[in-house]
Amino acid sequence: MTPTGEPILSVRRLAKRYGAVQALAGVDLDVQAGEVLAICGDNGAGKSTLIKLISGADVPSEGEIHLRGEPVRFVSPQDALTRGVATIYQDLALAPRLAIYQNVFMGAELTRGLGPLRVLDKRTMIDQASGYMVQLGSAVTDATRPVASLSGGQRQSVAIGRALRWNADVVIMDEPTAALGVRETAQVLDLIRALNGTGKTVVLISHNMADVVAVAHRVAILRQGRKVIERPVSGLDADMLSHMVMTGREAA
Amino acid sequence: MRGFIGTYGTALAGLAVFLFFVVAAPNFANPVNLLNILKQVSFLAILGIGFTFALTTGELDLSFANLASLAAVATGGLIHNGYPPALAIAAGLALGSAGGVLNGVLVTRVKVPSLIATLATASIANGCAFFLTAGVAFVGRWDPGFVALGRAHVLGVPVLVLWMAAVVLIALFVLKNTRVGFHMICTGEAEEPARLAGIRVRSMKVLGLTLSGALAGVTAVLLTANLSSAAPTMAGDYLLTAIAAVLLGMTMFEPGRPNVLGTLVGGVVIGVLSNGLILLGADYYVQDIVLGLIIIGSVALSASTLKKAAFGV
Repeated sequence: MTPTGEPILSVRRLAKRYGAVQALAGVDLDVQAGEVLAICGDNGAGKSTLIKLISGADVPSEGEIHLRGEPVRFVSPQDALTRGVATIYQDLALAPRLAIYQNVFMGAELTRGLGPLRVLDKRTMIDQASGYMVQLGSAVTDATRPVASLSGGQRQSVAIGRALRWNADVVIMDEPTAALGVRETAQVLDLIRALNGTGKTVVLISHNMADVVAVAHRVAILRQGRKVIERPVSGLDADMLSHMVMTGREAA
Repeated sequence: MRGFIGTYGTALAGLAVFLFFVVAAPNFANPVNLLNILKQVSFLAILGIGFTFALTTGELDLSFANLASLAAVATGGLIHNGYPPALAIAAGLALGSAGGVLNGVLVTRVKVPSLIATLATASIANGCAFFLTAGVAFVGRWDPGFVALGRAHVLGVPVLVLWMAAVVLIALFVLKNTRVGFHMICTGEAEEPARLAGIRVRSMKVLGLTLSGALAGVTAVLLTANLSSAAPTMAGDYLLTAIAAVLLGMTMFEPGRPNVLGTLVGGVVIGVLSNGLILLGADYYVQDIVLGLIIIGSVALSASTLKKAAFGV
C-alpha cells in the first residue's frame, strides 16, 4: 500500500524518565497512514520506551500522542487496541495450548443468544479467525489447531490475527523476526507486506537492517533517547543503515 | 494412534479395571453395588469439579474438604436444632462459598500462594468445625424433606447421582460455552497474555476458588442429608480422593489440562477401585496406597498445569 502522507499517529515532544534515567528525551514523529515505518536504534536508544508509550503499556512523562489528529491518552494496551492501535509483543503473548481462534478472540469473544443466555459463538469465531489466516497468507487455516503446533512465523500470523479482529489501523510489531530462522523470517516479512497490503499502517521495531530495507517505506533512527534521523528507505542498503544507526548521522 | 492413546488411554485403562472387577470381585457387578459406587462417586466428583474450577484458573485449593466438613456441621447443627431446612442449606452453601472467597482474596490481594493460603484456610475451617460441634457429631431424626435431598430416588436413580449430573452439565456448559468460563481457562493457561487481552485475571481466580468453596458447600448439604448426621471430620477423606480424580482426569480427554469430563471419569475410576478392592478382600489401607500411586502416575503423565499452580514453574 502506498503511504498517503497523512499522519495517522503523531507524537510531539514525547519524553519518559525512569527515576534519574531519561529513556526518551523529546521525540517528534509522524507515522503516515498506510506506510511501514521502521524504528531502529542501538540497545538503550529508546525504541522500547517509545513503543511502550504509543502502545499504552506505559504513560509518557511529557509530550503528546495524537491519533487521527485527536490527542489521546492510552491507559492500557487494551485501551489502545480498542482505539485501533494494536501491539504485537516480542514474546507474542499467546496461550500455546489454546486454539488459534481462541487466541485471536481472547478477551473479546463473540457471543450469540441462546434463550436468555449469551453463549460463545464458536462457529463464527472459527470462521473469522480462518479468514484472517487466509488474508495473511498463512499455510495454516484450520483455526481450531492449538498454537503450540505452529511454527514461529505462523504464531506471528495468530498474533496479527488479533489486530485484524480489532480492525486496528496501526499495528506495532516489536522485533518480530528476532527469534526466527531464515525461512520463518522471510514468512514474517511476507506477512508484514500482506498486512500492509490490507491497508494497515505498520510500525516495525527491528535490529535487522536487511528486514528494514526489505519491507519498510521509511525509517526513524533513535539515539540516546532522541530521534536523529527520519527518512525514506529507498536508496539505502543494510550496511548504510547499520552505519547510520551506529553513528547517528546520514550515510555519506 | 498415539493421539488416541494419549487422549483416551487412561479412560480405557479404567474400563479394563472395571471389567477386571466384574470378573474377579464377587457381587461387584450387582446393580445395587454399582449404584452404591455411583453414590460414593457423586460426592468426590462434585468436590473434584470444584477443584477443577480452581485449577482451571491456575490455583490449587487444599481447603475444600475441610470447608465441606465445616459447612456440613453448620447445616447439620441447624437442622439438628430444629431450624428450617432452607436456612440450614443456605448456611452450608454460604459458608462454603465464603471460605472460597477468603481463599480468593488471600491469593489475589494478600498475594499468598494458593498452596499455602488454602492450607491455612483448611486449618481454620477444621478448627471452626470442631468448635461448632464441641467435637461430637450431630445425629438424629431429621426433617424427612431435608434427608430426601441425599437419599431419595427419582425413577429408580439415586438423587445424589442426579445432583452430580446437574453439577457436571452446568460446569461443562460454563467452561465450554460462556465468556466467563473461557476467561477462567485463559487465566490458567496464560495469565499474562490474558491480562494483556483485558481479561480480569484476579477476578477469575477469585471466582475459581469461590466455585470450589461453593461446591464444597453443595457436597456438605448432600452428605449431611445422605447420612442424617454431621461430624467435624466427615468430608476429610475426600481431599485426596477428589484431587486424585482431578489429576487422573487430567490424563484424559484434554491431556495436561483440568477438565470436567476427565474429573468425572477419574472419580468413577477411583470409586470403582476402592469398591472393587474391598470386595476382593483387600485391607482398607491398600486403597490409600493405590490412591498415592494414582496421584504420582497421573502427575507424571500430565504435570504442567499442576506444577505451575503449585510452584509457578
